[in-house]
Amino acid sequence: MAEINLKGISRRWGDFVGVDDLTLHIPDREFLVLLGPSGCGKSTTMRMIAGLEEVTEGEIWLGDKMVNRLEPKDRDISMVFQSYGLYPNMTVYENIRFPLRIRKVPKDQHHERVMKAAEMVELTGFLDRRPAALSGGQRQRVALARAIVREPNAFLMDEPLSNLDAKLRVSTRAQIANLHHTLKTTTIYVTHDQVEAMTLADRVVVMNKGVAQQVAPPMEIYDRPANTFVASFIGAPAMNLIEGEIAGGTFTSPVLRVEGLPHPVSGPVTLGFRAEDVEVVSEGGNLSAPVYSVEKLGDSTMFAIRAKEDMIALKAGKAADMEIGETVHARIPPGACHVFGPDGQRVEAPGL
Amino acid sequence: MPHRSFLFFILPSAIAMILFIALPIGSVLVQSLFVEHGQILHEVETCSPFGGCTTETRVDAEATNALRAAQPLGRFNGLGTYLNRNHLATGEIAAFWSASGSWGQFWSRVSQLPFYRALGFTIAYTLVVTPCGIALGFWIALAVNRIPKVLKGPVIFVSLLPMIITPLIGSLVLYWMLNSRGILGRALQWIADDPTLSIGSSGPLTWAVLFLYGIWIAAPFSFVVFYAGLQTVPQDTLESAMIDGASRWERVRFVVIPHLVPLATFVALVQLMDNFRVLEPIVGFNAQARATSLSFIIFNDLKAENGQLFGSAAATSMMTILFVVILLMPVLIRTWRDFSRKPA
Amino acid sequence: MTAHRPSRLLSVFATLFVLVWMVTAGFPFLWTAWGSFKVEPDFFSRVDWTNALTGVNTVRQTGGAFTGDGYYGAWVLNDFWAAALSTAIVTVATVTLSLILGTLGGYALARSGYRYAFWILIVALIFRAMPHITLVSGYLVPFFELNIWGTLTTSIIVLVAINQPFTLWMLHSFFLSVPRDLDEAAMVDGCTRFQAFRTVILPVMWPGIITTGLFSFLLAYNDFAVTAMLLRQDNQTMIPKIASFLGSIQNEGNVMFAVSSVVSATVPLFLLVMFFQRQIVGGLTAGAVKG
Repeated sequence: MAEINLKGISRRWGDFVGVDDLTLHIPDREFLVLLGPSGCGKSTTMRMIAGLEEVTEGEIWLGDKMVNRLEPKDRDISMVFQSYGLYPNMTVYENIRFPLRIRKVPKDQHHERVMKAAEMVELTGFLDRRPAALSGGQRQRVALARAIVREPNAFLMDEPLSNLDAKLRVSTRAQIANLHHTLKTTTIYVTHDQVEAMTLADRVVVMNKGVAQQVAPPMEIYDRPANTFVASFIGAPAMNLIEGEIAGGTFTSPVLRVEGLPHPVSGPVTLGFRAEDVEVVSEGGNLSAPVYSVEKLGDSTMFAIRAKEDMIALKAGKAADMEIGETVHARIPPGACHVFGPDGQRVEAPGL
Repeated sequence: MPHRSFLFFILPSAIAMILFIALPIGSVLVQSLFVEHGQILHEVETCSPFGGCTTETRVDAEATNALRAAQPLGRFNGLGTYLNRNHLATGEIAAFWSASGSWGQFWSRVSQLPFYRALGFTIAYTLVVTPCGIALGFWIALAVNRIPKVLKGPVIFVSLLPMIITPLIGSLVLYWMLNSRGILGRALQWIADDPTLSIGSSGPLTWAVLFLYGIWIAAPFSFVVFYAGLQTVPQDTLESAMIDGASRWERVRFVVIPHLVPLATFVALVQLMDNFRVLEPIVGFNAQARATSLSFIIFNDLKAENGQLFGSAAATSMMTILFVVILLMPVLIRTWRDFSRKPA
Repeated sequence: MTAHRPSRLLSVFATLFVLVWMVTAGFPFLWTAWGSFKVEPDFFSRVDWTNALTGVNTVRQTGGAFTGDGYYGAWVLNDFWAAALSTAIVTVATVTLSLILGTLGGYALARSGYRYAFWILIVALIFRAMPHITLVSGYLVPFFELNIWGTLTTSIIVLVAINQPFTLWMLHSFFLSVPRDLDEAAMVDGCTRFQAFRTVILPVMWPGIITTGLFSFLLAYNDFAVTAMLLRQDNQTMIPKIASFLGSIQNEGNVMFAVSSVVSATVPLFLLVMFFQRQIVGGLTAGAVKG
């Protein structure tokens, strides 16, 4: 068990920057999620920690050891791969035992440890099958068992759920959360799925173009996104972002006008608000536009409206009933608004 | 993979290729600039009591061997070998040029020169056999795709035979059937009603037979590759073409062939390389009187009974290598373009 | 191409075409194999081609319709057995060494992300295109000087090297089809690069290695340029030996030695296609898809 320290690490291929000057402290036992769109550098970061990718610049510390020059096998971490990386010529039992065998763990411990790991992921019935005879979910659990059998310093998981179907994803996610609760091993988890990030993480690192945009617990990322990228990436649907001017607490744009904002700035800004914070009203409000599409979700109804260039999402109760083309009126409470400066960075409201 | 482990894994293979492919090319270059020593002669005066004295020229075998051992490469000859009658024959060509009245006359005299004769046949062989082999393979693949499933296995089995057969053996098998005493040779004489007809005695016939042999061994390769390619033709595209009203041939023309083009490029590349080195059929068909190839004249120089002609073989080899590089140039340029466009 | 609206005429035409091709591809071998059990006047039956079938002269000369004289002459009287032994040694050693060097190198090329790996493959492609005889003309003088000309070992090493470009390309494309995750998982689990290669990658590579082995067998077995120039009379392999029979076919009966040794040398190839048809076809297509 150990903490992990990344000190200004970068990865470049020629002119292409994969990860740019990333500094991160991951305390022992934390479940850290690296979240971002594909190509943002999250996988590269994890692979640098594993030793599968060279570090161009900066230092990686596992506990009190600088590991930049160490081979993957000497870093004492274990990893779960997106396509599982199971050894097709070995049975499930041999797959799980492989790390013990190759690391010369005394033979008499093997059976007990393999069985214990298999039990934790409910695989005891499949031990003499080959990976080809398993379903996707079972394969993923073999990969998990192989990772936990060794009790390493840290777990690295590279999009472990992305090859599973939606239903399995939910149950395996729960299993991973439970494993971490039991084992309390430092875990770094890479995903592009914000739901996984929100449900599993102690802290989330939102990355874009090789740069960490925000490092914070999930709720803080949701409630107080650090910039427009995080705001637009987190939440389903994404936060509505509207460009306009602010002066004296009043935001104006061709589409909408919000008064009573506490933010002490003026000039061009971006106003953000979430669909669920909006109140659909029958008359008045700060926003009115024709409905572009209606999506009945069961527990609620989503309206998309088209105001000038922007598409704005609104969430209403399940009873709301409107046709495409009808005009909808909405009220946006100033307390639910986020303001981002011209550089895209969050402007804090005083007193919060 | 880090540089160090890459080196560790590639090293044995790289050493083998450097020692036995790259260095020999260098060695060929050096050899091509030298020519074998002539024999050392010395004059011996023999006097007989009655006839007076006569001077005789004799080969000094000891001195000749000593010199050959001391300088195995021979003596430096610069580009002399390249320009002599057996290679580029610049002097002869210049003479022909001034002496010949017409282009036709000029060409026919140039094509009698050993190097140009070999070059001419090699290029003709490559340019005829490659496309014909690919086309035949393509038609066989289309046909096999239509026949009942049970027949496909045996057809593929028999088709593979000409491809995997040793080239020398394959050419002998055909030669024995085609020569004037063989069954097909006899059939030809009967058809042409000319009992003296023999493939060895006619230049065009020899060329045609060699080309047929080339197509015979080349077609199976294209057939197998195209046949496999046909199994992966996108069914969706084929079906939407049918719905759009494409006829059978139009479907082949607009869906199947475009799907097979990358494969055809690959096949063409491999076959160009293989056909350009044509050697065995000329040995097998005993055809050197009517057709020689670049590889064959190198082979012949090296096999020469009275002293191998290393310098001559090396000069031809250098020019052959040059032609191979020219042949590959389009591929190399395309690869280079694709590669420099692709980031990292 | 599937069964929508099958056109009978086209099917008949296709079947006929395939039949013609099968005869073209297979008949010469059948004819030669049959004829190898006759005497020369029957094999080359100037007078009447049916003699080749009935074996009139064979009956007259030997008493039976079939004779093993050609085989006896080639294998026993002319030491074709020694050539066969040389061929066996050369091909087995060449295939083994080619595969050892090729798997190591092909693995490195498939797993390195650097540009030089790409350039090595391109250089290998150029080497692959070199006519073998041009390289042979570069070997002879140095080999005479080093006094290593004429031994089986030299020929084996040369054949291994000449086949490397092809072997590297083929194995490289097979290694590309093994997911990278597998090596990485093994390395995280505690393997060195070489351990991962040996314990995890090689076991799943066997089909590819067998296919590549078949093709390097063909390259070594079918070679004429290298072995004809680099071996002595007494340790020649089969193909140059057959070529040397041709020099002496003026003598009655000698040509039948050549015919019977040709048929003998075809047998291993025939068996190879029979047992490994699937692998050969797979290998050709794998090369095409990746190459």
